Amino acid sequence: MTRGRRGGRAATAMAGSAALLAVAACGNGEADEAGESTGGDVHLVLETFGTFGYDELISRFEEETGYTVDHRVTGEHPDYAEALEQNIAAGSGAGDVVALEEAHMAKMLEQGDAFHDLYDYGAGEMEEHFLDWKWELGHSSDGRLIGLGTDVGSLAICYRWDLFEEAGLPTDRDELTETWQTWEDFLEVGLEFRDAGMDEAFVDDVGQFYTAITRQAGDAIYLNRDDELIMDSNPVVKEAFDYAARLAEEDLTAALDTFSDDWNAGIQAGTFATMTCPAWMLGQVEESAGDAGEGLWDVAGVPGEGGNWGGSWLAVPTQSEHPEEAAELAKFLTSTEGHLGAWEEASNLPSSVETLEMDEVQGWTREYFNDAPTGEIFAEGALDLQPYYMGSGHVGVHEAVGAYIDDMQRGEIDPEQAWQDALAEAERAVR
Amino acid sequence: MKIVKGAGTVPDREPPVPGDAPAGEPRQERRTRWQSLRGRFDRRFSPYLFIAPYFLLFGIFGVFPMLFTFWVSLHDWSFIGGKAGFAGLDNYAFLVTDAKFWNALLNTLGIFVVAIVPQLLIALFLADTLNRQLRWRGFFRMGVILPYVTSIAAMAIVFGQLFGRDFGLINLSLESFGLDGIDWRSNRLASWVAIAVMIDWRWLGFNTLIYLAAMQAIPRDLYESAAIDGASRLRQFWQITVPMVRPTIMFTVIIATIGQMQLFTEPVIFSADYRGGNQNQFQTVAMLMFEEARQLDNFGYGAAISWIIFVLIVIFAVINVLFISRIRSAT
Amino acid sequence: MSVYAPTRSAAGTPAGPRTTNRPRRSASGPLREAGPLTYIALSLVLLFSAFPLYWMFVVATRGNQAIAQRPPAVLPGGQFAGNVVRTLENPAANFTTGLLNSAIVATTTTVSVVFFCSLAGFALAKLRFRGRNALLIGIVLTMMLPVQMAVVPMLIMMDAFDWRGDLRAVIVPFMVTGFGVFMLRQYALQGVPDELIESARVDGCSTFRTYWSIVLPALRPAMVVLGILTFMQNWNEFIWPIAVLGPDNPTVQVSIHNLNLGYTSDFALMFTGATFATLPLLLVFVVFGRKLIGGIMDGAIKG
Repeated sequence: MTRGRRGGRAATAMAGSAALLAVAACGNGEADEAGESTGGDVHLVLETFGTFGYDELISRFEEETGYTVDHRVTGEHPDYAEALEQNIAAGSGAGDVVALEEAHMAKMLEQGDAFHDLYDYGAGEMEEHFLDWKWELGHSSDGRLIGLGTDVGSLAICYRWDLFEEAGLPTDRDELTETWQTWEDFLEVGLEFRDAGMDEAFVDDVGQFYTAITRQAGDAIYLNRDDELIMDSNPVVKEAFDYAARLAEEDLTAALDTFSDDWNAGIQAGTFATMTCPAWMLGQVEESAGDAGEGLWDVAGVPGEGGNWGGSWLAVPTQSEHPEEAAELAKFLTSTEGHLGAWEEASNLPSSVETLEMDEVQGWTREYFNDAPTGEIFAEGALDLQPYYMGSGHVGVHEAVGAYIDDMQRGEIDPEQAWQDALAEAERAVR
Repeated sequence: MKIVKGAGTVPDREPPVPGDAPAGEPRQERRTRWQSLRGRFDRRFSPYLFIAPYFLLFGIFGVFPMLFTFWVSLHDWSFIGGKAGFAGLDNYAFLVTDAKFWNALLNTLGIFVVAIVPQLLIALFLADTLNRQLRWRGFFRMGVILPYVTSIAAMAIVFGQLFGRDFGLINLSLESFGLDGIDWRSNRLASWVAIAVMIDWRWLGFNTLIYLAAMQAIPRDLYESAAIDGASRLRQFWQITVPMVRPTIMFTVIIATIGQMQLFTEPVIFSADYRGGNQNQFQTVAMLMFEEARQLDNFGYGAAISWIIFVLIVIFAVINVLFISRIRSAT
Repeated sequence: MSVYAPTRSAAGTPAGPRTTNRPRRSASGPLREAGPLTYIALSLVLLFSAFPLYWMFVVATRGNQAIAQRPPAVLPGGQFAGNVVRTLENPAANFTTGLLNSAIVATTTTVSVVFFCSLAGFALAKLRFRGRNALLIGIVLTMMLPVQMAVVPMLIMMDAFDWRGDLRAVIVPFMVTGFGVFMLRQYALQGVPDELIESARVDGCSTFRTYWSIVLPALRPAMVVLGILTFMQNWNEFIWPIAVLGPDNPTVQVSIHNLNLGYTSDFALMFTGATFATLPLLLVFVVFGRKLIGGIMDGAIKG
């Protein structure tokens, strides 16, 4: 599962959303005690967030191995990440197998010592079936295999076909995919939409488009492999930024900060026509738009070259008292069988090439989205993906840039100033 | 005074004098000597015994985190990765030059003024009102503490709906009167006000109840004679109520100072992250501390900020206490 | 710095309780009946205070959509029973264990806090001993230490004690609070006349007996409020419990947190949980609170 849900928290801050002090449900010593007290029996704790779709798979694993697995789920990723970090820092309390999300992964890889090298547990033989880049990104800089890939978040565009129709634009998803081959084309469609006199904005949040374009960069985004800030010299970042600025200047944006209350309400009220949709975003749209939005949304291909946003890995912390068995569980959940199970249970897009090519994935359609063949659209995207390097400072830099882009689209700050300020704060963030 | 009932009449029930007392001495005398010995011991050590539990608990659970945090603040320390090298006072030196820190301090103090001054004043008035003859008094008294019972989740969502830019209820009502909506999170002052509303909502009843308790110790006849002398209610409030509960006002001011300098929950809910606005318009010092320690993985710097927060609390508590004393001596 | 100079500030109050020899008319006081404006203002405060709580209940009686609805729903719906069943049956939440644990934690800490803090508050306000002011300043200073950074070192300690997942981890560290000591000390300055203590001394009461039969009744209003606040605080505490307690042995706030599973947040479920967690609190408050708050009046020193 996957999300950067920066902001999801106010909307969902719950009775104890760790938004507040930031610790979430977490494993505890009891798991280990249970393991010890029952002698030979192995009790494993699996920690994930959001929906990984592992319920069925866990029962199967328990049946096959005779181990017991306690699956602990945290709803929101920020809460999850904070609790996990806390337990890693404290030296105990983390699960035997833990999920690491993309943006969080880089930071955890730097603490490679906190996790077992899965090569030691025979995971090396799994290389073949993973997408190359997903496999590669599971390694620490010294070549240890820390994480086994779960899902990926290839990109698409969600759009309101009814609004397109109203604006006199094509509504067919294939035709649109064809029309907006490049981001420039996409902007042209937006201008047509605007000039048709529509009240609704063309996009929800220019920041999402900025993110999508940077994710198509390939190689590196803000930091190079030596973790030096290359934001200023990496043309892709500036191009993406300028594109976001143009969307704002042309008055194509509803200027809604993604995941904010207003953004959710905007989806429900239909105040914009398109948004970037990584595979995992569909659930969010469906929830926010509710029953009233059913059949109004559709999914088309993303402009530019593929692109990924999000996705996770499974890792085994060195705290685990049963690393052998934990590795077994991680390997099982990321096997072809595991990927398929997660897809069927939660529509999490596999990072296994084999699974991606299966009919169960390719033939999948989603009723809510006007029966769009989402399986095919996303699987195609996933097979095309280019890997990119993030580095542990990525999240901090991205948050800073995102904030200035948001102010830019609200008209609080002009693009040139926004870029300079973002750059300055990025430098501070990675100091 | 009725309260002393029994104090003088109920004799101390003491164990019989131990049998190893020197023989031959009159029983009564032995008893007195033992009593006075015990009395001296009691007077001397009881106070320490009474406050010992606090220090015992603090010694166990307070000292280690404190020293740990200080140790961390002297290092380059990654939250998950641990120590990366001794940094001496570098973290503190960086703090002095860090514009983000000064910005956060400004926000923290600004919100303090916007939120706390009215809150404590209103709480005092409210407590005074609830202390008087009133129909449904118990009902109103219980009512004020309801926010303190309410879950943070409900608070987060309700206030999120109130302060939304496009669909928030406040802006919707403003717009229905033909006014422009306010972008609560972009405008610095607006964001401070919104956060202050959340803080006051949650803590007004808390302080009211504390004041209310304190007002119970004010003898009623003070009011009676003041009323006979023709003092207005407001005059009674300033001349009787306020001076009488002054130690408690001190207490709430210090508690509020501590709470405000560590202000975290309300702005985090309002912001939905630790950033506190795109340009940190309402990022508080505690939020910055958390952002640094956890999000940016500068645990050492975060720890340094936490120690500076401590120093600032001490400074502002002293200033506030002096300020309150001054107000009193002026009247 | 009068906070740290108790005797002076006590003397500074224009008229201590000692000036009252006449019996007070109990629960009267009021010299003038409040006007309609007062009632209107109070009702507004009440409405403002109660709305989020009420609205939480509204969502708990409806579905998840009630959250996103604009304008929001303001009347209860009919799904409360169903939501309650879902809450209680949620396997991750262990809701009944949570309720029970919270009752244990909140009660234990409240009794302990009120007792130990009143002892310490009394000592610091009314007893003379070497180092008193320094110790008082020490307590106030320790309250000022920021708590947010303490989670990790506290977790390390809990691991050392093997208290992870154990209720002791959320009880023992909170059995005496600086807040309580300081609050009762300030109240004792103002509310416990020195003469009372002196006369008890003259009668040969031990310090503890003086505390028990003289100071305790005089402190009652403040102790009641401290008790209520402590109970609520510990009942509603979640940051530390979530960090240290596992899902198998939760407090009720941890249970509510664990209801929030899955991709989408089920607010109806969460708010049902929150309503459920608030009800006992309100009940305690309504049943005892009336008595307690009423008792604030009656229990106070009667001259």
